[in-house]
Amino acid sequence: MPGGTLWKGYIHFGDTDVPVKLHAAIKEERIQFHLLHKHDQVKLRQQMICAYEKQPVPTEEQSKGFEVEDGKYIIVNPEELEQTDPESNRMIEVHEFVKTAQIDPILLDRVYYLEPDMAGIQGKGYDAFVKALKEMDVEGICTWTMRKRSYFGALQARGKVLRLSTLRYADEVVPVESLGLQEALLSEKELKIAGDLINQLAASFEPRKFENEHQKKLQDMIEKKARGEKIAVLAPKRLKPTESDELLQVLEASLRKVA
Amino acid sequence: MALQGIWSGTISFSLVAIPVQLVKAIEAGQVSFHLLHSKDYSRLSRRMFCPEEKTMVPPDEIIRGYEIVPGKFILMTDEELESVSPERSRTIEIVEFIDMKEVDPIYYDHPYYLVPSKGGEKAYQLLVEVMRRTNKAGLAKFVLAEREYLVAVTSREGALALTTLHYNDEILPDADIAPKKGKIEAEEESRMKKSIEQMIENFNPGKYSDGRRKKLLDLLAAKVKEKAPVEAPAVEEEGGEGPADLVAALEESMRKVKENR
Repeated sequence: MPGGTLWKGYIHFGDTDVPVKLHAAIKEERIQFHLLHKHDQVKLRQQMICAYEKQPVPTEEQSKGFEVEDGKYIIVNPEELEQTDPESNRMIEVHEFVKTAQIDPILLDRVYYLEPDMAGIQGKGYDAFVKALKEMDVEGICTWTMRKRSYFGALQARGKVLRLSTLRYADEVVPVESLGLQEALLSEKELKIAGDLINQLAASFEPRKFENEHQKKLQDMIEKKARGEKIAVLAPKRLKPTESDELLQVLEASLRKVA
Repeated sequence: MALQGIWSGTISFSLVAIPVQLVKAIEAGQVSFHLLHSKDYSRLSRRMFCPEEKTMVPPDEIIRGYEIVPGKFILMTDEELESVSPERSRTIEIVEFIDMKEVDPIYYDHPYYLVPSKGGEKAYQLLVEVMRRTNKAGLAKFVLAEREYLVAVTSREGALALTTLHYNDEILPDADIAPKKGKIEAEEESRMKKSIEQMIENFNPGKYSDGRRKKLLDLLAAKVKEKAPVEAPAVEEEGGEGPADLVAALEESMRKVKENR
């Protein structure tokens, strides 16, 4: 079983209720480093330090402030903050169903698996729901509360399993207009050669091909050091940018290289 | 336009190299608070602290260590870390182009934008346009902050977007999640589909907003009407000029003033 149950709830829309259990779908592995004091290798701790006293400040002496202007704050206390907490309930409320293609992938945040909660009397609803979502190619847009936070997300069927993806809010996406990009004059010739080049480099997506090589190399480096071996410190590779006036030549050379 | 550059380097495909900067595509909407010292509202900041010497430790006295056995560390400098994958820490090398439709959304991790650095504008726009026309995305690997990512570079509304992807072995299997083969009654299936059909709409994500964010902003608006905001005392910049003993004397006198309040 991929990890334990993170949360239990039930999907609700119309007359339908489907009890479910939430599971993690992603497991990230990382080599963890500690931050140490150079001269004695003591493990350092992260603390909240006062700008004046340069000493850590315990939690009971900390206040939360919202900065309205440089250096000016509105203080909020824990009770006031608690009043803004959403009411918790176990319902994943579906507001609408939309065609999968209408959901911009940039909105996708975290994904979870939903397992039918067989302890509920209506365990069967799950299969029918998955089948319907798949055959109609739609996703259920829903909202729910988990651990005092409100979420907005999409219910999607993949294989025989129901997934719940949290979505980012529309106003959290940085608009492309704000990047200040300028149009450039491109010749049809450059575009054609670039297009041919891309088609030469086309492949099907095979995720199994890719491994986290950096992790392995890092592990090797750590082991080498543990054995007392010397490590070669290499400078990062930096490529020379292609000048605009040599773009066509470089494209043509690339095409000759891959064709 | 001053953008917050997270990383800068080059993106390449075959022999074409484009200087770029990686910037955020998502600005989290949560209302954020600062932590202040209750007695005088001085701003608190996160610092590394040595529990033995009981002082803050400046960045040049900090080193990373991997704990091989409890209490024994293998030290790594920033240069050594950067040299683990030297070909990938400053370059995003696109090795193949794929159709994003083949990528199960479960692989998506975090989105960013790439913006061209000086001189790379034309090559950048070329890549944007040709990927748009061919409807393809570039697949590459690159190293950011000690982690190596598999990424998809896509053409989006006239810009290049970069999405980090999860590795295959980071995706947990779902075989145990799927229910045992059960029979779905035809009547149940048609009832379910009818229910769904009645609720099909065109997706407008702007309709949904963070309720808590609104409540917090309302609370803050109400509070600012009742009382003026508090002011944090002005603080000297860290690493301030002046002979050490003068700074120490100043700190000492400030401390005395605070104690007498």
